[in-house]
Amino acid sequence: MRKLVLLVPSLLFLLTGLFAQKTTVSGKVTDDKGITIPNATVKIKGSKAGAIADNDGSFILSVSAGTKLLVSASGYKEKEVDAANNMVVVLDLENRTLSEVVVTAQGIRRRPKELGYSLAKVSNTELTVGRSPTVAAGLSGKVSGLLIVNANNSVDPAVKFNLRGYRSMSGNNDALIVIDGLPQPPGSSTMFNLLNPNDIESITVLKGGQAATLYGSQGVNGAIIITTKRGQKGRLKVSYSSSYNVEKINIMAEFQDKYGSGSHYATSWTTTNVANGTYKANYLDRMKDNWRSYENQQFGDAFDGSMRPLGRTLADGSVFMQPYSAIPGIREDIWNTGYTLNNQVSVSGGSDYSTFYLSAENNASEGIVPGDKVNRTGMRFAASQEYGNFKIGFSANYVQARYNRTTFNFYDESINQAAHIPLPDLRDWRNNKFANPNAYYNDYYNNPYFRLDNYRQRYQDANFNGTLELTYKILPWLSVFNKFSAMNNVRTRKNTVGQFFHSNHAKNVAKVPVPWDKNDGSGITRALTDVQGSVSDESNTENLINNELQLLINKNFRDFNLKGIVGVNGYNRKTKNVGISSASIVVPDVYNVDNRRGELGGGESNTEERKYGYYADAQVGWRDMLFVHSTIRHDASSRFYKRSRDYSLYAYTYAGVDVAAVVTELIPELKNNVLGYAKLRAGYNKNGNDNIALYGLDPTFGNASGFPYGNTVGISVGNILPDDDLTPEFVRTLEFGGEFQLFNNKLNIDFTYYTQRSEDQVLTVLIPATTGFTNLRLNVGETKNWGYETDVKIQLIKKPKLQWDLVLRGSINENKVIELYPGVKEFQVSGYSYAGTYVMQDLIYPMLKATSYVRDELGRIVIQTANSASQGHPLITGPLKEMGRVTPKYMLGAGTTVSYSGFTLATNWEYRGGNYMYSDLGRQMTFTGSGKWTEHRAPHIFPNSAYLDAASGKYIQNTTIMTREAEYGLWVDAYRVIAENFVAPAWFIKLRDINLSYSFSNNLVAKTKVFSGITLAVYGRNLITIKDKANMYADPEFSFTTGNGIGINNTDQTPPVRQYGVNLNLNFK
Amino acid sequence: MIKNSRDMKLKNIIIPALLILIFISCRKDWLNVNTSPNTLPSSTPDFTFAAAANRIAATLGPNELGEYWSGHWTQSSTYILSNTIFGYGFNNTNFDYWSGYYDILKDLQYAIESAGSSGPLSYFGGTSRVLKAYVMQIIVDLYGNAPYTDALKGLGSLAPKFDDQKAIYEDLIKVLDTAITVLKATPLTSVYAGSDIVFGSPSGSAATKWIQFANSLKLRILMRQTRVAGRDAYIIAEINKAAATAEGFLPNGLDVGSNPGYVASAGKLNPFFETWGYNAAGSIQSLARYPRPTTFLFSNLIATKDTFRLKRLAYPIGGPEANPYPAEIVANYAGVPFGAPSGYLSQNTSYIGPSQIKKGEFNRPMILMTNAESQFNLAEAKQRYGASLTGVTGTAQSYYEQGVKEAFRLTGTTATYGADKATTLLTSGIDLADWTASPDKLKAIWMQKWLALTNYSGFESWCEYRKNNFPNIPASASTASNAPRPVRLFYPQAELASNGENVLAQGTIDVFTTRLFWDVD
Repeated sequence: MRKLVLLVPSLLFLLTGLFAQKTTVSGKVTDDKGITIPNATVKIKGSKAGAIADNDGSFILSVSAGTKLLVSASGYKEKEVDAANNMVVVLDLENRTLSEVVVTAQGIRRRPKELGYSLAKVSNTELTVGRSPTVAAGLSGKVSGLLIVNANNSVDPAVKFNLRGYRSMSGNNDALIVIDGLPQPPGSSTMFNLLNPNDIESITVLKGGQAATLYGSQGVNGAIIITTKRGQKGRLKVSYSSSYNVEKINIMAEFQDKYGSGSHYATSWTTTNVANGTYKANYLDRMKDNWRSYENQQFGDAFDGSMRPLGRTLADGSVFMQPYSAIPGIREDIWNTGYTLNNQVSVSGGSDYSTFYLSAENNASEGIVPGDKVNRTGMRFAASQEYGNFKIGFSANYVQARYNRTTFNFYDESINQAAHIPLPDLRDWRNNKFANPNAYYNDYYNNPYFRLDNYRQRYQDANFNGTLELTYKILPWLSVFNKFSAMNNVRTRKNTVGQFFHSNHAKNVAKVPVPWDKNDGSGITRALTDVQGSVSDESNTENLINNELQLLINKNFRDFNLKGIVGVNGYNRKTKNVGISSASIVVPDVYNVDNRRGELGGGESNTEERKYGYYADAQVGWRDMLFVHSTIRHDASSRFYKRSRDYSLYAYTYAGVDVAAVVTELIPELKNNVLGYAKLRAGYNKNGNDNIALYGLDPTFGNASGFPYGNTVGISVGNILPDDDLTPEFVRTLEFGGEFQLFNNKLNIDFTYYTQRSEDQVLTVLIPATTGFTNLRLNVGETKNWGYETDVKIQLIKKPKLQWDLVLRGSINENKVIELYPGVKEFQVSGYSYAGTYVMQDLIYPMLKATSYVRDELGRIVIQTANSASQGHPLITGPLKEMGRVTPKYMLGAGTTVSYSGFTLATNWEYRGGNYMYSDLGRQMTFTGSGKWTEHRAPHIFPNSAYLDAASGKYIQNTTIMTREAEYGLWVDAYRVIAENFVAPAWFIKLRDINLSYSFSNNLVAKTKVFSGITLAVYGRNLITIKDKANMYADPEFSFTTGNGIGINNTDQTPPVRQYGVNLNLNFK
Repeated sequence: MIKNSRDMKLKNIIIPALLILIFISCRKDWLNVNTSPNTLPSSTPDFTFAAAANRIAATLGPNELGEYWSGHWTQSSTYILSNTIFGYGFNNTNFDYWSGYYDILKDLQYAIESAGSSGPLSYFGGTSRVLKAYVMQIIVDLYGNAPYTDALKGLGSLAPKFDDQKAIYEDLIKVLDTAITVLKATPLTSVYAGSDIVFGSPSGSAATKWIQFANSLKLRILMRQTRVAGRDAYIIAEINKAAATAEGFLPNGLDVGSNPGYVASAGKLNPFFETWGYNAAGSIQSLARYPRPTTFLFSNLIATKDTFRLKRLAYPIGGPEANPYPAEIVANYAGVPFGAPSGYLSQNTSYIGPSQIKKGEFNRPMILMTNAESQFNLAEAKQRYGASLTGVTGTAQSYYEQGVKEAFRLTGTTATYGADKATTLLTSGIDLADWTASPDKLKAIWMQKWLALTNYSGFESWCEYRKNNFPNIPASASTASNAPRPVRLFYPQAELASNGENVLAQGTIDVFTTRLFWDVD
């Protein structure tokens, strides 16, 4: 590259336009995939003259006829070609890892060796190995430091993306997702969920703030940059892919199958009842008293196979008699087997100066919740064309997705049905008289299948998004570039509840038949309320526009190369939600708000936000071995704007600098047989973040509850008080890293350490209600966040027929709350009153806290000694106790690919650990008595218990005091309320995806004359999940929220599933 | 470089276009979209007053708790017994009425401050002051010392200090004085009549009624302190002052009720009706099975042969939707012993009666103060202070008898069973019903007041019980018979967490022993 110096005069020569008597040839340098290679050197063989290709790979050169050119670029093998006009020079990679150009912020293409910050790339092949219909599931475990929380497995799954842990205590911490240059608003994953993973060319993950500075405040949490396919030069390629997979429950919560319906009906233990003999001393007798034919709880006597009634006598006099014994497999059988069928076709091609890509996809899925389904159909078209110095490109994508789901918590309902209830036989509630809500046995929970059918939501997304890119090359080293992106999403939704009126018999007459009536009064206790039916209809639109205008500079000065960008960005997002509803319908099954009683309900909500920013990004390279890169950006955000506010309160500037040094080139002596390449990097930057709720500067005045009543208006003063001087918050990041290639590229290691500090966060803190407000929004608080990331790539075998690669990606993340609001030691982020996530002074956040056992100094559980109904039961602490962090401390991803002949076996494993979870499902299953752990219903000594000896004042190991009423009270009144019982280590190991594919040999395929390639694959996702023994409840990854307060799951998340299927891929000639 | 005319043209178009883009995006005004299109930037006193008044009426919690703790109601055993209510096992996370009431006070304060001192809207400054005194007294009666002078100042005081309860009580009388002055000066303009959801229609007499309400409220505040040593002179002077106004106290037949115009739509019905009665579509609510009249209430009514009122206060067993519906004879009414944990399923016991819940009657006003209460307060004042109350012209007996009549009227006993029913009771010759036959006049007043407050003003009834220790409400069946009963609530956890120093400065609160200043024994 030192010869570069020699080229500069010829470049100048060109510019001045003093042409010699020669012809001019122009051309382009690309890699084997047709992606242009910027800044390649083009030399005339046997001469000192030559040119440097521009950022876009284009070059122009004045040559004599028959001249040979030597084309080279860093990381590529030099190639000799004949000079010709409109030539395309395809260079072969010297070393893919180092040289394959990656897309960084703002679509800038850089070689990895130039980068002074950490970056990861995921190719389409890696992403789609498990044939996941969504991008999120395919990305899990494939980038170090990227936490993807697959919060549930519904047909419309919710996902959280987080890079390098948490910075903000109460604001957004999610990574910015950029799709084809369009930044997606935080918390809105509309476009992301609709993407066909196969349409994705590559995903680049910019982990730190430095890389993302160019995206403005939204990039403070790192960025996931998705580039879709644009087509490749060359002949027309047509491919068809079809896959089918089924999904089945992977892990069930642990259920007991020993006891049937019953609750606390037996006479309670009291001194009086013991004395007069009404309290039955034998727990087996009490269990018999507890049995009821209509109970949701499962604290009856042990299953004995006898015939017993379910519920009450029907109007026709019949009684639903069933054997009183657990039905094997019933807990799983109530769920469906899900499936997904995916068909897609793509066409791509291009000439030397144009490309196009066209794809169409249909994806139909049914989930494990009976009746839940989704159908997605989409088309994408992208094309580009060059006219000399002018290049135009565009992409357009249209997707429709229809969802049909229940709004009802099926899981919760199902755990409230005992193991002897033949639920699957009761699906047909319309025709099966015992399944009908009028006769359904359960007094407190209705037939879950009736509820599923009766509570529905149907929604549809219609999403259009597209980009338009214009590039104009003003000078060989200077271009102007404009990218306009737009997205429009319309979601229409209709939620319905069917009408159901109970019969008079059900409401007032039905009784439990003798002799099972158990003296339960003269009639029924069913809290039956007629279902009036309801309908709500809403429409949500989202409009997003983003424009980037950039001047791109790429110029060499002797040993130096300058790559610069000066840009201006404008961003506008607008949403509108309108809904109407009726709380009752008149004619059954007609779901239109016109068909109603009473008032029309409804409302609207509108938002708009705007931002603009100016930025400059400069990278100076010295001899292609030392790179100094810096960025500066000035942003102004409407979130902090008010006409009356000072400019400094809504506009903010931030900057960063980083250095990359290829030490093996700077000090060639370091290079040896072992170490082939080493690069060190360091970076510092400060990022501004407009982390405030929209319209968060103003106190609000809203309609008071219930208003307006007719013409009577009532307006109430809002409860959040904003501080006058609110400003955006800043995050400072320091990052160090290194990249090493060893053993002739057989081993690649990438290592990063980062530390982040976030000060003056925009927090909404609790203030006394006596101030007239409940919350104050102000800049306060400080956090620290740090961690390590490492990526190791190992080439185990590389032979012509057999290849075996292994990739390991590990990360560790820690954080700490340095300072909170004065006087405030903690605040709750999410969860319940008895178990939740908190931000706590001096501790990592979010911290899981839960009500817990009282323990003595030896850690033994302290029990009640007083002679009462709860004697022998564990005591509960008053305040909640810290249980541990909820975000994983350790994450490790392992991917391996083995290819032999036409076979390829690819697997990806992921481990996460060091964190804790709380499962409210566990608490619910304790209340219902369906949990396996509630099986110990005989009086027993509470494990590892101790009690306070009044005489000595010391704790004594309990060997004598038995739990009283262990057949009910111990579980429901004591064990259940100690939330610590349902806290478990959240570590897991998952086989994220596995794929065994076979590509039919070329000879065989060639004979067909139709195909150019056929690949058949079998694949699976989440086939194996290993979790902690103490977690008897759910997938530890599941969470009831995708906000900051993860780590808590409940019955809203269905049991986790595994998927397996088959895929056929055809490429046509 | 390749140059041709087409490129030049493009260049000519693009570059100026881009420059324009830069120019547009640079204008600061482009950011001026940060005013919420969803909420209002401010309000006016009339609208905010209406919001506050309606929310006061819709705050059922203290009244519900009061109905239990004054022995009117208990719960059926269809629901698992609430240990917080009937076993007194509550802590500072239970019964947080504090935050809600201060939120209401903020609205009232906003209305007072934005009402100004002149113009038609200043009327709402007067009405808002009356309600401010009304709410602030409830706060004191629940919690004792509370932020008052330092409260509701937003950034002005982020940790409001507490005021002495007695001082707050005294200031509330002054607040009501100011309210009366304002209301005398500014009648209700008919344009704003819709916003006065208490007395707005007809608008002509609204201001007068508010002054009468203010005077009766003063009476409530003053009479609460009668057992505090050394307060008599103050109480007498203030009652005389109130009586001396031309408007006087609430006139016969006038209850204070709030009604924004309840409609048959979810969330917009009379809140009492919607909670324990029927939903908008006319189906009975599940929670109708929860509250139950006590056997103690029934036995007190039956002891004085007051059975017609009983049939208004309760429905027979099985409730209004029972099918077949039982005959309305006393034998078919079954109360539940206070705090009984089991054995009293909803279908075997009486429901809350038609005095408050009648199918289809979702638009009755929510009662803020019954006329009967004002009458009984006058009766007690006259009984205690006699001739010193120069402005109060009636006799204790006349106010007492009027109070009973007002109670019969409000419960619908008069309208349903005839005007003679109250007279029959008053001349029955039975102790605690017939004035002349009652040896302890105060006890008669307290008993009839306790009955009159049933289903309407549970909280007031609990305050009366704390002050008078009468009637002899039985202990909860879930506690020992001599178990202490709560005399107040804890300062809520939320206030402790955010205003800790000032809360802790109030000393250790024991809800069974830390009595309010007017609760002397």
